[in-house]
Amino acid sequence: MSESAAPKRRMFGSGTTIEDLKVYMAPFVDRLGYKFNTETEFVDEVLESELEILEATGDIFCPCRVRSGDPKEDAKIVCPCIPFFRDQFAGISKCWCGLFILRDVEDGADLLGVIEEVHGAVEAPVFLAEDVPPGQIRRVKIGKRDVAVANVDGEFFALSNVCRHAFGPLGEGFMDGPVVMCPWHGWRYDVRDGTTDHPNADVKTYETVVRDGEVFVIVEMK
Amino acid sequence: MQVKLYALSTCPYCKMTRKFLDESGADYDLTEVDLLEGQEREDAIAEVRRISGGASFPVVVMDEEVIVGFNKKRMKELLGL
Repeated sequence: MSESAAPKRRMFGSGTTIEDLKVYMAPFVDRLGYKFNTETEFVDEVLESELEILEATGDIFCPCRVRSGDPKEDAKIVCPCIPFFRDQFAGISKCWCGLFILRDVEDGADLLGVIEEVHGAVEAPVFLAEDVPPGQIRRVKIGKRDVAVANVDGEFFALSNVCRHAFGPLGEGFMDGPVVMCPWHGWRYDVRDGTTDHPNADVKTYETVVRDGEVFVIVEMK
Repeated sequence: MQVKLYALSTCPYCKMTRKFLDESGADYDLTEVDLLEGQEREDAIAEVRRISGGASFPVVVMDEEVIVGFNKKRMKELLGL
């Protein structure tokens, strides 16, 4: 991607315009595997609602969800809320409102309207392959799942982020070939199959797929 | 049929749902949750969570059935249109 035109500081207030929101959000959702809906009038309508909410509340909360009053919970519905609902949104190819759609959806008009419960396997986009070079590992939340995704010589592997020893974050660990060392006490896991030398402490793994430079983790929706 | 709509005043799908219900001539009971305050708001959110399992809008109740989102097809079926 070329150098972004987005401002460095996120300063939304009474002078903020729809255009400001677009410029700020576009490079971010791009990294998450999404783009603005192709229905431009609908996009403007949603952003217009967000500006009203900004005026009333001080932040751009989702126009389709209600604030609970708990700041931690409410932070999950500040637009764009994609990182907190990766699994659900991947299943319906859009965010709840339909403001954003998956990168490979050609016509967002088909997606307006019905919101269905998602069941079965879902390919959730997590990051661009170029953002995590070989020898690196990154933690991602996919719905309620806490996952670590590693790049081993150009191949991507996903496993539970949570070390079975003391719950350390494997996604912040150190890679050594196909092995990740937990950053807390150095427990080692093979990222390819989640195995470790410690008895009964293997972690769950997930299938991954790479398409058009984008990494997806396959998760099962109940 | 008893029709209830839980909506947010800011939400595009809620507007579409209202437009659809208005145009279909259905008699419905509208609650705009974000415009409520205090206990009334708390109660409405609790009710939406109870019937829909979340706090996403719109939520349409047609007799016993709960529809989350703007599902024109299902609403038409239930209204017999």
